[in-house]
Amino acid sequence: MSLFAFYVVVVTLGILSMGFQLLASRLLSPHFGSAIDVWACLISTFLAAFSAGAMIGGWISNLEFASRRRWQIGWMTVAIVALAATGFFGRGMVDTIAISLEPGITPILLSCVGLFFFPVTALSSFTPQCVQFLATRGTPPGKASGLVYGVSTMGNIAGVMLTAFVLIPHFRVSTLLHIWLGVAVVSLAGLLRLLRAPSVP
Amino acid sequence: MKLAHIILSLALPAALLAAEAESYVEHFDTIYNSLTVERRGSVVELRARARGGEALESAVDLKDPLMPIVAYTRTLYAGLFIQSKPQRVLMIGLGGAGFHRLFTAAYPEALLQTVELDPKVYDLCRERMQFKPTDKTPVTLMDGRMFVKRNREKWDWLILDAFRGGFVPPHLKTEEFYRECAARLSDRGVFISNLHATTELFYSDIKTIQAVFPQVVLFETTGRGNVIACAVKYREPNIVDSAKWPAAESLQRPHFAGRLDLAEIRKERIAIPTGRMRNAKVLSDDFAPVEFLDALKANNADGRDK
Repeated sequence: MSLFAFYVVVVTLGILSMGFQLLASRLLSPHFGSAIDVWACLISTFLAAFSAGAMIGGWISNLEFASRRRWQIGWMTVAIVALAATGFFGRGMVDTIAISLEPGITPILLSCVGLFFFPVTALSSFTPQCVQFLATRGTPPGKASGLVYGVSTMGNIAGVMLTAFVLIPHFRVSTLLHIWLGVAVVSLAGLLRLLRAPSVP
Repeated sequence: MKLAHIILSLALPAALLAAEAESYVEHFDTIYNSLTVERRGSVVELRARARGGEALESAVDLKDPLMPIVAYTRTLYAGLFIQSKPQRVLMIGLGGAGFHRLFTAAYPEALLQTVELDPKVYDLCRERMQFKPTDKTPVTLMDGRMFVKRNREKWDWLILDAFRGGFVPPHLKTEEFYRECAARLSDRGVFISNLHATTELFYSDIKTIQAVFPQVVLFETTGRGNVIACAVKYREPNIVDSAKWPAAESLQRPHFAGRLDLAEIRKERIAIPTGRMRNAKVLSDDFAPVEFLDALKANNADGRDK
């Protein structure tokens, strides 16, 4: 049962990460449009966050248990606070940046990094810890890594399709950002519970 | 007679060769658009790739650059019935400057400020379509919404004609943006928007415009799928009653002769499709599924006017 719940959480985090990218594009578009320059900044920010999150998560997964728990709770807090900030203050922040700076790549990049880098980094930091979770339960590390990244990527695909073709046509972006926050709180709390058993002796 | 025949037989192939030499098709991929410029004889067309084909963005006849070739650019002059003395005009979307040439000839004292997002469109407009911006027709390269946000001037006409490959960017379709436009209008200014009338988006468009502007009048470019919405931010005087509009003859300008028939444009007035709008949603920055609404019926990207 815990393994099933584990995969549900992995899929959910995948949905949240990539679905968030489409919501991010809608948050930026009133100020910067939705052309290739916006997408270049957005995709780069998300990839940088995935990269940073993977490295941070890899480092956390090898800490001793007590310290690891502190970092897990810390990054969960970062994810929730950053998602809440985006959901409640994101539009105002983009507006301020867009008006304050000269038009060009700088305000777009600054908005992307300021609003989306931290929540995505925080969400991504849990992926290597999920690999560690499987590995400590007897799954060979290579297989564990393949399973987690494979399942997470399926969640990414679901997140993109669901957000693009079902959610955005029917719901307000602000409503969706609040839903994202709620789902993130529940799924990260669930994951934190699953990861509670010490995995490094 | 024989001599004339000889001259004609020599001149005709030469003329055909010259016409062929003047014809070309060029493609340009820019950061915002995939564009085609095609010249056939003296007519140069600017088209943008859109879903399922190419949308005609603009066209100019270099032999008579004042002639509005693309039908809806004539309908934009419906604004004259609402605000007949356009001294300061802001146009969002340059295209091939199909509107600009006749307007600046007819109103040489007026300022026509244009905002264009794509630098390549501006280059092509000058190089291929022979548009020559002056201090009366300045062009600013910027996102239209960003310009409206930053601009503090007032405009008699604010024309929204910004497309990207036949589609209007969602951020130029929202209630918030229309409010920003309304704030930039002079007291008796008119907001003029080129709308696609062939998709479900049209009904949301009108409903959104109505959410901001108390009075809205529509003109349909005959058989082209374009509707020009004219909207004002005041309730009085009444602009909806066409009997109160100035007569077409009184608005006539010498350069309009043979190019623009205001009496015909007056006849393009259509009613607001209230019934079809009942289920339409107002578009906002928070909710603007423009692409989805625009795909609900066949779009007009089959080579007709954008």
